[in-house]
Amino acid sequence: MALNSPTYLAFLPLILAVFLLVQVRARATVLLTASLLFYAALGALELLAALFVVTVASYTAGLLIARGQGARARRWALWLGITADLAVLIALRFQTPIAEAVNAVSVALGFPGGSPFPPTLMSVGVSFYAFQGISYLIDLYLEVAEPERHLGRFALYMSFFPKLLQGPIERASDLLPQLGTLGKPTYEDLRAGVLTFFWGLFKKVVIADRLSMFTGAVFSDVQRFQGVPLLIAVVLYSIEIYADFSGYTDMAIGSARVFGMRLTQNFNRPYSATSVLEFWRRWHISFSRWILDYIFKPVQMGLRSWKTAGTVVALMVTFLASGVWHGAAWTFVLWGGLHGVYMACSVLTRSTRARLLKAIGMADSRLVRWWRIALVFALVSVAWIFFRAENLGDAFYIVASVATQLPASIAPSIADWSHNLLLDQSWREAAVVLVSLMVLVAAGLARSRWNLHSPEVFIQASPPWVRWVTYHALGFALVIFPAPATRAFIYYQF
Amino acid sequence: MQTLDTLSDVFRKVFGDPELTVGPETTADDVEGWDSMSHVTLILAIESRFRIRFTQKELMSFRRVGDLVKSIEAKAS
Repeated sequence: MALNSPTYLAFLPLILAVFLLVQVRARATVLLTASLLFYAALGALELLAALFVVTVASYTAGLLIARGQGARARRWALWLGITADLAVLIALRFQTPIAEAVNAVSVALGFPGGSPFPPTLMSVGVSFYAFQGISYLIDLYLEVAEPERHLGRFALYMSFFPKLLQGPIERASDLLPQLGTLGKPTYEDLRAGVLTFFWGLFKKVVIADRLSMFTGAVFSDVQRFQGVPLLIAVVLYSIEIYADFSGYTDMAIGSARVFGMRLTQNFNRPYSATSVLEFWRRWHISFSRWILDYIFKPVQMGLRSWKTAGTVVALMVTFLASGVWHGAAWTFVLWGGLHGVYMACSVLTRSTRARLLKAIGMADSRLVRWWRIALVFALVSVAWIFFRAENLGDAFYIVASVATQLPASIAPSIADWSHNLLLDQSWREAAVVLVSLMVLVAAGLARSRWNLHSPEVFIQASPPWVRWVTYHALGFALVIFPAPATRAFIYYQF
Repeated sequence: MQTLDTLSDVFRKVFGDPELTVGPETTADDVEGWDSMSHVTLILAIESRFRIRFTQKELMSFRRVGDLVKSIEAKAS
């Protein structure tokens, strides 16, 4: 079930009530049963089968690594486990290209086309727990994590429902110890959990779902627009994907917190980054840590004698792999490739830029800092065009139109503002977008200004009236201003 | 102790900070400029200074300076 569905709003308190009522030693069983029911509610047997295979393969390989006599045996167990996890991931995530390839080979060999397995299987969540399984095995191999010998606890580590569908991808050393000591959540846990959950729901149903009406109107038929409206849609999409994905993550973190558990922070004001490198330290943090540790570093270190060239190759390999993981389409490959190029250019010019800024006395300039933030936002937004566009042609059309028709499109855009500035949406929707974006920016600024890095800091640092105004405003916004149509989370498909 | 002193010297040269000293518990968070980009320069400098070559597994499991020292001393003995 989706975290923004009414069913989940009933499911979560119900599971919490059972969790609080049962004996301490039964709590993990309650959470595991709830997680399996949660996944089964999607109505796809293949998902439960995939979860079963990845869990058993990672658990068994983990024990083999821990017990392995000698480096060779441990390495074999590691590769066996990784291969099983990757096989499940690839089979489900890339079933369409695999089916197409099978068809093409069948036809070429003179057999009738048509795969016996049509590519209609669901794959939601598979990437996230397969990545978690791989990370668990590598950390065991590197001896930086302890093996989990209790199969039930390990299964809960893999399937814990708040993070099952879209992460965060939890490291063994972060989540497993918490599962061994499931206590009673404190009042503080419940308060912080509920606040985080509803703040995430606000980002999803008030901001992201509403923005998707605006961006969807443009991206579904880009040729109807030139210049200014395309730029507006691109900027709005950058905000939409942030509100959507960080909204989901807040709901996941809040859901876990009401059980007294802490999940990894996945977003940390990514659009305040002053470099693309910093953006990736702030955006989808559990995933960027994963690709950094398990793809980038091994490739970079393997090619370390190439010095900077080795780093550039490692960056390109990492981000292209990240693109392909998002989907077997050229748009995703280009999105990943662009980030690889940004990072490579950043590495290649880093010392020159630092020397230049020092020479002109602007190394610590606030102006340069703001310029960098704007530039990173622009670069990341250009890449999002490829991520969001229906196909490569649409993406290039948007880039070309914004680059060449922007000044010329200003006057016609003002003349036909309803189509070009409101993107065919109503004034009311635009006003709600504007106000909710101001709330989002204010929350980000407050977080930075007063160091409110988590809801409990906000709760403890604010006087009661500020807290109560916040709770009521949030509740009011959720009841009065949800977007007219609900949409699945963007990362649900990955 | 001598390994740590030599290692501190390598760190000072790589990060261009003559005041820098590192201890067994030092991590990348404690040294300004020690990120995944400068890490490769650091590893190359250490390998060249101690005339050793780390394995991929060692490189991936380093978490703090103490891990580096342990690995260097194991290779030297």
